[in-house]
Amino acid sequence: MEIVAIDQISPDQVILFQLGFITINATLMYTWLVMAILVIVSILVTRRLSSGRTLSRGQNVMEVIVGGILKEISEISRERAKHYFPFIATLFLFIALSNVLTFIPGYVAPTSSLTTTGSLAVCVFFAVPIFGISSQGILEYLKEYFRPNFLFFPFHVMGELSRTLALAVRLFGNLMSHEKVVAILLAVTPLLFPIVMQVLGLLIGIIQAYIFSILAMVYIASATQSHEEHPQHAQS
Amino acid sequence: MHIDWFVFFAQIVNFLILVYLLKKLLYGRILDAMDAREAKINATFDEAEKSREDAQLAAAESEKKLQSLNEEYETLQNKARTDAEAYHKDLMDSARQEVEKIQARWVQTVNAERDAFLHDLRRLAGVQIYAIARRVLKDLADEDLEEKIATVMVTRIQDLKDDEKTKFMESLKEGNRLIVQSAYEMPPGARKKLDDVVKRFIAADIEVEYERSPEVMTGFEMKTDGHKIAWSVNDYLNTLEENFIEALYAESREKEEIQSKEGALA
Repeated sequence: MEIVAIDQISPDQVILFQLGFITINATLMYTWLVMAILVIVSILVTRRLSSGRTLSRGQNVMEVIVGGILKEISEISRERAKHYFPFIATLFLFIALSNVLTFIPGYVAPTSSLTTTGSLAVCVFFAVPIFGISSQGILEYLKEYFRPNFLFFPFHVMGELSRTLALAVRLFGNLMSHEKVVAILLAVTPLLFPIVMQVLGLLIGIIQAYIFSILAMVYIASATQSHEEHPQHAQS
Repeated sequence: MHIDWFVFFAQIVNFLILVYLLKKLLYGRILDAMDAREAKINATFDEAEKSREDAQLAAAESEKKLQSLNEEYETLQNKARTDAEAYHKDLMDSARQEVEKIQARWVQTVNAERDAFLHDLRRLAGVQIYAIARRVLKDLADEDLEEKIATVMVTRIQDLKDDEKTKFMESLKEGNRLIVQSAYEMPPGARKKLDDVVKRFIAADIEVEYERSPEVMTGFEMKTDGHKIAWSVNDYLNTLEENFIEALYAESREKEEIQSKEGALA
């Protein structure tokens, strides 16, 4: 068996439908699948919510997940956790579910496509100034780019761009390389060892989802809290 | 690395749609349910806390009530004890008074009986002594007692000292009557002897009258308004009475001692 080329294992290359510039490829299809699962599960779980002492297992699991994410966000952002919560939690759930579903044969994680990770990173890229401006106003936010003096403006801009790129490439690289490693191992040792790698892949998927969403939160938090922290620094 | 820009933007839109959908369908509802549960739990805890406080208050109140009841009980008990002691004291006092009254009455009765007895004894003893003396004299000396008494009187009158005579005479001045009282009829011989002696030693113009008087009992008395010359067995009777009383009391004392000893032993 020939070792699969990167181009060939990317779901972007599997085009299902094309009409002019509209391209429906496997990335989009698997993304919709993950979205559909998330939405259907949400509908099913929240159909009969209980605020009493007894609650369904689905609700219990969802409460643990949602409560855990909210706790993590609270620890980083200190306040207004619920404000950022939908964005960060959706990032985590989407990436985590995309990565975890790789145990299904034939499924390719949309997050192993640079298109997907890049679009998510761009979302974060725009979310940072949006949350920052909504939190401290456009002037205060823009002033951040000129601290400690105007010479640092290019570095700030570069930092924003590079970390967005890093976000996109880190997730894509991890997921893509994992699938590549599994594909290579399938060629070398078809039995058992790829299973171990699959299990490791699940762990890596969850960790990458966690890292992506936590980094997004940290960026947002740094943009929203910098203004509040400066007077304290000045005082100290 | 090829990037399909349609897919790229489609993914952004997909993600934003997913954020919206999950916010509507999942986060809001789950967080609301969690908040509602938290509120319920807090309410339950608040309620429990309130119940606990109520229970503590109730317990404190009960404790206070119990304490006041105890105090009241003690007060009542003390009052009851004091009342009982006072009542006991009253009862004892009244009983003691009753006993004292009965005792006084009894002592009075005993004294009266004793006096009556002694009176009778004295009278009987006097009569008896007189009879015995008379008989003894008659049997042994063949003499009459009245005569002998008259002789004693005569001797006494003769032995009167001058100042005694004067006093006797002074008391006679008002009536010049001398009354001689005796328990028995004075024999004529004795009367004559007495008359002579009186007239000779006291005054010649004195009129002597003889009277029988049971009060004199034994012997005789020669009385003026203020003085008298007498002989009777009264002295002997007094001695007898004293001895008799002493003997009586000695006997009763012995009885009391025996009774008290028996009482102590019992």
